[in-house]
Order: sequence, then structure tokens, then C-alpha cells
Amino acid sequence: MEDLESVLQKHSFLSDLKPEHVKLIVGCAKNLRFRPGEFLAREGQKEACMYLIRRGTVAIETHAPNGETICIETLMPGDVLGISWVTPAKAHFDCRARDTVIAFSLDHDCLHRKMNEDAELGYAIASRLLDNTYQRLSRLRLQQLDVYR
Amino acid sequence: MSTAEAIRTVPNAYIPSPMRIGRAGHDIEGVFTWVLEPAAPFPFEPGQFNMLYAHGVGEVPISISGDPNDFSTLHHTIRVVGSVTEALGTLEAGDEVGVRGPFGSTWPLAEASGQDVLFVAGGLGLAPLRPAILSVLTRRSEFGQVTIIYGARSPTDILFRAELERWRGRFDVTLEAIVDHSGTDWYGPVGVVTRLVAEAEIDPEYCVAMLCGPEIMMRFTARELEQRGLETSQIWVSLERSMKCGVGLCGHCQLGGTFVCKDGPVYRYDQVAAKLLMRGL
Repeated sequence: MEDLESVLQKHSFLSDLKPEHVKLIVGCAKNLRFRPGEFLAREGQKEACMYLIRRGTVAIETHAPNGETICIETLMPGDVLGISWVTPAKAHFDCRARDTVIAFSLDHDCLHRKMNEDAELGYAIASRLLDNTYQRLSRLRLQQLDVYR
Repeated sequence: MSTAEAIRTVPNAYIPSPMRIGRAGHDIEGVFTWVLEPAAPFPFEPGQFNMLYAHGVGEVPISISGDPNDFSTLHHTIRVVGSVTEALGTLEAGDEVGVRGPFGSTWPLAEASGQDVLFVAGGLGLAPLRPAILSVLTRRSEFGQVTIIYGARSPTDILFRAELERWRGRFDVTLEAIVDHSGTDWYGPVGVVTRLVAEAEIDPEYCVAMLCGPEIMMRFTARELEQRGLETSQIWVSLERSMKCGVGLCGHCQLGGTFVCKDGPVYRYDQVAAKLLMRGL
């Protein structure tokens, strides 16, 4: 049976991270399961951890004044959720499991501490987050153009 | 007689032939499809278009969206965006419309034979790709993996939804649809079409990609495909410009040294990529 460390390293966000760095952050990680409809994060609430999605789909949602739910984007296996802690900030959107979601959670405080203690790990995680954020930003820019109108 | 053999010479490229509307159906808001009944067989190749004439109002170029193996009917899917398409939208089954064509270049089905085929359509761009998809599905054994990726603005803006569901139900086709925004009644992915392109199973060495949709969407998609390892010569796009004469004479649709109505609308991406980055061209 694979241990948490080896499974963690298989996630695309961490796939080429040095084994000694994976060892460092494994203590911050938990393997979690969310039922369909369960929230991984709620708008306005503090995000205590970052999620690396392994299975299932997470909807990033907000709501209109009439209460209507608007789905802005869905995240899939391989994606990262909960990156607003970088600023740090509270969650900007609701993040809801659409089906059964299996994800690694990485405790923010723990991860921050490890990143501060090991600058190389800090750079490796920060550059992955930057790359992920840039890709998300590019997609959102295209979405904002509303090209099918 | 094969479709290629059946390609005819347009009798008089400047004079519209009257054609009866057999059926007129509403697709999604502001979009309708006509099934025209030509008096004689009307062969065309996937990717081509006709000039449709609303009597006394004007002409517009509209891609052919039907099955190229069916010479007896002619399908056109039309979005109401101006005075001519508005006038066309008032016509009903039994009415007559003027048709000139078919014009333009075609999707590279011969080049794609033996290779994987990736179709990426956005919004109404599914209509010009539909004849190519139907051709590939008719000759399914001649191609490798067939993947269709479709992006729409919202679930209610999905074109040919019933047909997409049928294609998705086939074991020999991979189809993914994504919408820019949704409520809670959509269970598919939400985001932009490039997202699915990034995730698609592609063998970059043996893949031909055919893209049709808004030009910005095609540029972003082509960029994503290049990142996935495809050469620009493996990517084909269908362009839209202000086409008037349909035969490369009037110059309204000039794109650099080419005329979209005659040399296009389907281009290999390496032939137009630089031109598409020139503003106002």
C-alpha cells in the first residue's frame, strides 16, 4: 500500500518536487473526502488550508442578489484550490463538491512555516502557485471577453 | 458518385438560384436552421459556404451545416446579427431564398485520414464544423481517435444539443462540452474551452486539429495546442471576414495576400497565424 508521501508526490502540483521537500510538507497534509454538495470553502470565511484535488469536480460559485447560484469555474483533478491564502485573505467564493471529491489538504500555517524554514522549498511552492495563478488568470481573461456573445 | 467527384462548377457565380425552404427550425435564442430543397443535387465539401440572398435586402455568407453525403438538402444555421439575417429570419417553410455557391476552401479530411482528429468548436462555430464531423463519423474507420470539444456561453446557448448528446453516447468518439457560466442545473465543466484542450488526450505527432469559433477563441486554442506539442501546420481554422462577391474579386474579405471567400474560409494555421496578430487586418 502506498503511503501518503508517495501519493502526494504523484499529484501534478507536486510531481517534480524534490523528495526531501515532499518529506518536509507531508506532515502538513491530510487525505480528505467530500460528499457531493459539501463545501470545501465558503465565501468570507478564513481558508485554513489549500487543497490539491485528486478526484471529482469542485464548483467555484457565488450568488446573485436573488439568491441564484452562479458557477464561475469548475476545478478538476490536478487542480489546486485555496490559493487566496498567499495574500492572505478570506475565501472569495464558495467552493462546493459537485460529486465525491478526494483531495489532499495542506494546512496553511504548517506550509507557511515550512516554506519560511526552507527557502528552496518556499521558492518551489511559490513558483508553482504563481504558474497555477497565471494559468487561471489567463483563462478568466478569456472568459471575461465573453467571445460567444 | 463521391462528394469530390460530384463537385460541380457553379453555373453562374453571380446569379443567385432560387431555393425553397423545406423546414425552418429554431435552435437557440437568435439562431435558426433552414433545410433548403435544391431543385437539383447540390454537392459541397465540408467547410464551404453559400451566399444567401434575402430578396430586396441583401446577401450574407453562411456556412453549410448539413451532411455532405446528402445532395438533396442543404442546411444552413443562421444567427440574427444584422438587417439581412433579420430579414432571412422572417422567412418560413415554403418561402424562397436566393443561393449562390458553394464557395471556399474545405476542412482537410484527406490530410486527416489515418490520424487522430480533434475538433474544437466555440458557440455557433459548431455549425461550419458539423459537415466535417458528420463526414468523419460516416467514415469512422479511416481515422484514429476522434475528439470533439465544444464551448458555449451558457447551457442554454449550446447548439445542436441533442446531436452532441448522441455523439457523446458513441463509444468511438470522445466529446466534452464546457460553458463559460452556469447555474446549478449544468453538471459539465465550467470555464473556457482552452481548459478542455489542455486536458485532452492528444498524440501530437498524429493529430489534425480543426478549430471554428470566435477568432479570439481560435487564437487561444491554437496557442494551447502548440503548448501541447502540435505544429501550426497541424492546426486548421475557419475565418470570417466581410465576404461579398464570394469569388475573390471585390476585395472586401482580403486578409493580407489572400481572399477569405476564395482562399478560405478554412486555412492551415501557419498560413494565417501572423496575419491574425496584425490589428485591423
